[in-house]
Amino acid sequence: MMLLEGFSTALQPVYLLYALGGVFVGTAVGVLPGIGPAMTVALLMPITYALDPAAALIVFAGIYYGGMYGGSTTSILLNTPGESSSIVTALEGNKMAKAGRGAAALATAAIGSFVAGTIATVLLSFLAPVVAQLAVGLGPVDYVALMVVAFLTVGALLGASVLRGLASLSLGLFIGMIGIDDSTAQQRFTFDNPTLVDGIDMVLVAVGLFALGEALYVASKLRHGPVEVIPVSKGKNAWLSKEDWKRSWKPWLRGTFIGFPIGTVPAGGADVSTFLSYAAERKLAKGRNKAEFGKGAIEGVAGPEAANNAAAAGVLVPLLTLGIPTTATAAMMLTAFQRYQIQPGPLLFENQGALVWTLIASLYVGNLMLLVLNLPLVGLWVKILQIPRPYLYAGILVFAALGAFSVNFAAADVGILLVVGILGYFMRRYGYPVAPMVVAMILGPMFEVQLRRSLQLSQNDPAALFSSPFAVIVYVSMALIFVGSWWLRRRQASLEAAPVKDELSV
Amino acid sequence: MSVQVSTPARRPTGEILFALVFVSVGVAGLLTAGSIPIPPSETGIGPRAFPYIVCSMLVIVGTGIVAQVFRGKVGQAEESEDLDVTAKTDWVALAKLVGFVVLHIFLIEPAGWPVAAAVLFSGAAWSLEAKPLWKAVIISVVLALVLQYVFGGLLGVSLPPGPLLEGVPFFNG
Repeated sequence: MMLLEGFSTALQPVYLLYALGGVFVGTAVGVLPGIGPAMTVALLMPITYALDPAAALIVFAGIYYGGMYGGSTTSILLNTPGESSSIVTALEGNKMAKAGRGAAALATAAIGSFVAGTIATVLLSFLAPVVAQLAVGLGPVDYVALMVVAFLTVGALLGASVLRGLASLSLGLFIGMIGIDDSTAQQRFTFDNPTLVDGIDMVLVAVGLFALGEALYVASKLRHGPVEVIPVSKGKNAWLSKEDWKRSWKPWLRGTFIGFPIGTVPAGGADVSTFLSYAAERKLAKGRNKAEFGKGAIEGVAGPEAANNAAAAGVLVPLLTLGIPTTATAAMMLTAFQRYQIQPGPLLFENQGALVWTLIASLYVGNLMLLVLNLPLVGLWVKILQIPRPYLYAGILVFAALGAFSVNFAAADVGILLVVGILGYFMRRYGYPVAPMVVAMILGPMFEVQLRRSLQLSQNDPAALFSSPFAVIVYVSMALIFVGSWWLRRRQASLEAAPVKDELSV
Repeated sequence: MSVQVSTPARRPTGEILFALVFVSVGVAGLLTAGSIPIPPSETGIGPRAFPYIVCSMLVIVGTGIVAQVFRGKVGQAEESEDLDVTAKTDWVALAKLVGFVVLHIFLIEPAGWPVAAAVLFSGAAWSLEAKPLWKAVIISVVLALVLQYVFGGLLGVSLPPGPLLEGVPFFNG
């Protein structure tokens, strides 16, 4: 019944307006090429600085879902898809758009996202309080185990290069240590510099890596000339036909039930789930539909899009109940929560129940708004896609600088932003994933506290780290995940190679 | 299959130098971690243990990447929608962008945020070959004033309006 109270807050007219503003701005920024959901949340953080906690959470819920939606529009309509999180949607969606079925691809993506988002939010509403209840019983040893899994999946599993992922992870852990040690209040790596004593703010690192780093990287090899957007055909035939509905609804549901569980375990969130859903749809398709895969099969858009949104809701389960972010976007959400002194974890539902349920209620609201907003506004999204690139990246720089400055209103922070941005440039250039660094930076200090607590309780006996049955189960499942991922990786490599071959033979 | 095999044309010097940055951060960390004070009451592993672990990881992983690059396995540069993968790196544009961010930093306090933002936007647009330039300048001024109004005036984020706009009430929170 707490959910109803949440709704009573979220449905107040002012908060509805905030939700509308959040989903609108989130989608608009998410549509911008090169801007993923994590960057959307990071860039838009200054917007919420002056809001009260409930309003801020509502805006963030909107931005979180809106950013996801926006990305799929980009990958369907832009001629040059490249963002890894939406690459699977691009695989079929882009082909559909080129064949004049762009509107149908956008529609199945939007409706699929709505269906999946709603079902997944229902699952979240039921699952989160249960998990929180169980999590109250977890000790430091169990947290250490969970965080080790989060580190290894984010750092080692998800990038193209294991070593580069681990390097990014370690650097994030290092930056997280700068400042005052949580357990003993000693200064570490501050070199008596007053700016460093408070530690380096998470927002600076995230905006620097995602926004400034990306802008510099694109600027170094900018594709000049006009932007090519695939035109969206209008008219009756362009919309979802009866057959399209028939071919879409099962992938929507399958995508939901693939995406949500994957989101809840620290196994990589959206990326993995979209790929799995795509592989499943391709395998299950029969006859003529199967032949369409690689040339614009609607199942290949419907399934992964649903999986993507369901995973996004799933990621909120460990985030809200354990305080453990498993994706870069979740790490940004956690940073936003912490600015309002909201500490996600097992006690969140007890201590700040009203706020959490308002957040969850606004996820339902935001999801519905996205469905209503998205399709009629396709023309606007296309206009946004066509913004001349010099202006787009100049604007990103200004917003990044604004975000960095408004953390403490210190120009020196913009300097830190620039240093991190240059680091982000070289990381992209040499193939280092940036997400592990962001996750490690926020998870590192929590991990150290729990690790030291566990060892203190056992008089520094490292065997204690394996003393709880829960921790042992977690480590064993981690081993299984790793074995499974090697297998998946081989599948993914062959799958990504396949459409290229198709193109060559045409 | 974890890394792409390079084309022989590219010299990996930069990549090795970048991997060495990780190694040197690790080495510097290992050298300075010993001077972190340990309070006498500490009974656990103390505030030095985790720094030692993380810095060792940096050294090991960084060295591993250097070794990989020497064996010809270089990293796979990230893809992006607006990227021309075949283009050569435009170091001049990069230097200009970095220069304008530095200029922005030094303008915020004396000239005010709107001026600094307009300089950053038009400078960055110019660096990226926006044409015509006067259009970029107009956009930058409008954008800077709108942002100052929305964030400084409406949302109460205290952006310094600077000497030019000091007296205008709706630009101040």
